[in-house]
Amino acid sequence: MTHVPAPGAFEVPLWRAVAVFRVASLAYVCVVLIRDADRYAHPFAAGALVLVMAVWTSVTAVGYANPARRGWPLLLADLGIVVAILVATPWVMGRPALAAGLPTLPVAWLSGPVLAWAVSGGRRRGTIAALVLGATDLSTRGVVTPSAFNGAILMLLAGVVVGHVARLTVTAGERLQRAIELEAATRERERLARDIHDSVLQVLALVQRRGARLDGEAGELARLAGEQEAALRALISGAGPVPAGAPDVPEDLRALLGRYASATVSLSVPATPVSLPPAVARELAAAAGAALDNAARHGGGRAWVLVEDEGSAVTVSIRDEGPGFPPGRLDQAAAQGRLGVAQAIRGRLADLGGTARISSTPDAGTEVELTVPRRQA
Amino acid sequence: MSGVRVMVVDDHPMWRQGVARDLAEAGHQVVAVCGEGRQAIRVVAAARPDVVVLDLQLPDISGVEVIRGLRAARPEVRVLMLSASGEQQGVLDAVKAGATGYLLKSAALAEFLEAVRRTAAGEPVFTPGLAGLVLGEYRRLAAAGQGAAAGTADAAPRLTDRETEVLRLVAKGMSYRQIAERLGLSHRTVQNHVQNTLGKLQLHNRVELTRYAIERGLDD
Repeated sequence: MTHVPAPGAFEVPLWRAVAVFRVASLAYVCVVLIRDADRYAHPFAAGALVLVMAVWTSVTAVGYANPARRGWPLLLADLGIVVAILVATPWVMGRPALAAGLPTLPVAWLSGPVLAWAVSGGRRRGTIAALVLGATDLSTRGVVTPSAFNGAILMLLAGVVVGHVARLTVTAGERLQRAIELEAATRERERLARDIHDSVLQVLALVQRRGARLDGEAGELARLAGEQEAALRALISGAGPVPAGAPDVPEDLRALLGRYASATVSLSVPATPVSLPPAVARELAAAAGAALDNAARHGGGRAWVLVEDEGSAVTVSIRDEGPGFPPGRLDQAAAQGRLGVAQAIRGRLADLGGTARISSTPDAGTEVELTVPRRQA
Repeated sequence: MSGVRVMVVDDHPMWRQGVARDLAEAGHQVVAVCGEGRQAIRVVAAARPDVVVLDLQLPDISGVEVIRGLRAARPEVRVLMLSASGEQQGVLDAVKAGATGYLLKSAALAEFLEAVRRTAAGEPVFTPGLAGLVLGEYRRLAAAGQGAAAGTADAAPRLTDRETEVLRLVAKGMSYRQIAERLGLSHRTVQNHVQNTLGKLQLHNRVELTRYAIERGLDD
């Protein structure tokens, strides 16, 4: 069973955690209010302020629950209202209460927007919100006690850490989603491969076989069926899709070479993956492709490709049965300044730290052997 | 020898009939036609074929299971696998289980009839693709066996330099005749080298299976 989560789904638990924090810290605000109200300058105003905080707690809980409303308007309003509550606090409590070292009315509740900003946009936003609220808190008190300063620092740290963790969670979630999508694509491909094998391939092979001895148009149709059969077989026997944008994930050379297999090009490979760094695998496959193009142009007939994994090196051999050329002609061509396909292939292999051996005898075809050493990881 | 006794096992009815007709037209005797692996194993002893032409992907049991079953019921039978998709691991496993020939279903009729004749004569029928798989398997066994069981009785099987050379040329699409010419060997010698590469792999597979069975048996 594959379930593909909706985008942004990985943030949902984080937003829930922020809402829970706000409710829990509001409960603590109520405890502080009941304990200290008699020492405040304006106890009823303090009660009204806590009511505002309760209303805002519910508004944010509902607001942030919906991904469409998590934008700047709500984030700025959140910060603005908490700043306003902080500004009103010294008047509500009165200077004597503050000087006596009583905790400010919003206590930990004022960290709510810091967490919201951090979850919405990572470390940087968390830090900005923490700095704004910390500065407001310290400047409105009049006196900066060590515990007030500690509170501001803790809020700053919370903004940084929560922002960081939120980013990590979202990134991990996205990776998981990509992996799930890849798995689903692979399954789908395997299912298709089974279906194609059971029906289309069998019929195409049969058409090609029975039609091969017919003349004219029917024979031509049979030949076309054979070509399609080979192309389809190469398509479904290739390895799974290569994830886009993964420069450090090794690639299977067999899959890259699979696209060259056809009715005239036979591909011989090991049963296990031949993994190479993607850049090396692609260059090697491109060099093999160039050799095959050349074989098709000059050889004209069939070609064979052999992939060998010797552990410390990977070798790709390409052979055709074309007219070939006399020994020494390659050097002669290079000396005359004509850098042909052979030189291009040698250049590519030299760039990879490998070698290209090209040998040919007249009327006996051409063999190209490309060897790339494997660097120990 | 007038004709080979052949049994055709394939789940695709059109294909099965086509192959049977081609074989009959070429003078062979089609002694049984089956659409399922279990059925094939049941009838093989009574039908007494020399060669079983086996589709590697049957609906009921795996190609390896069919080959083991066929060879248990009729040890002298030779198996020529056909596969439409060229599915690599499956082909390799089937060869290790005792199949001696392999062709893609897209092979030309003449090629197919030649493969049946050669399989009946006990010659291995290699496609270039199969040679590549076998080469890869020897390298994989050598890499896996390094350090672990080096020097012991069940060390990984190895190819001689000559066998490797021959197998590489087969994988590059050369016929036995061309290989014999290039290496200055007789046709028969080239054929023996190819046969040995299969034989060692099948022997190793049997040793592994036996050891596995003994270990399981002792544990139970």
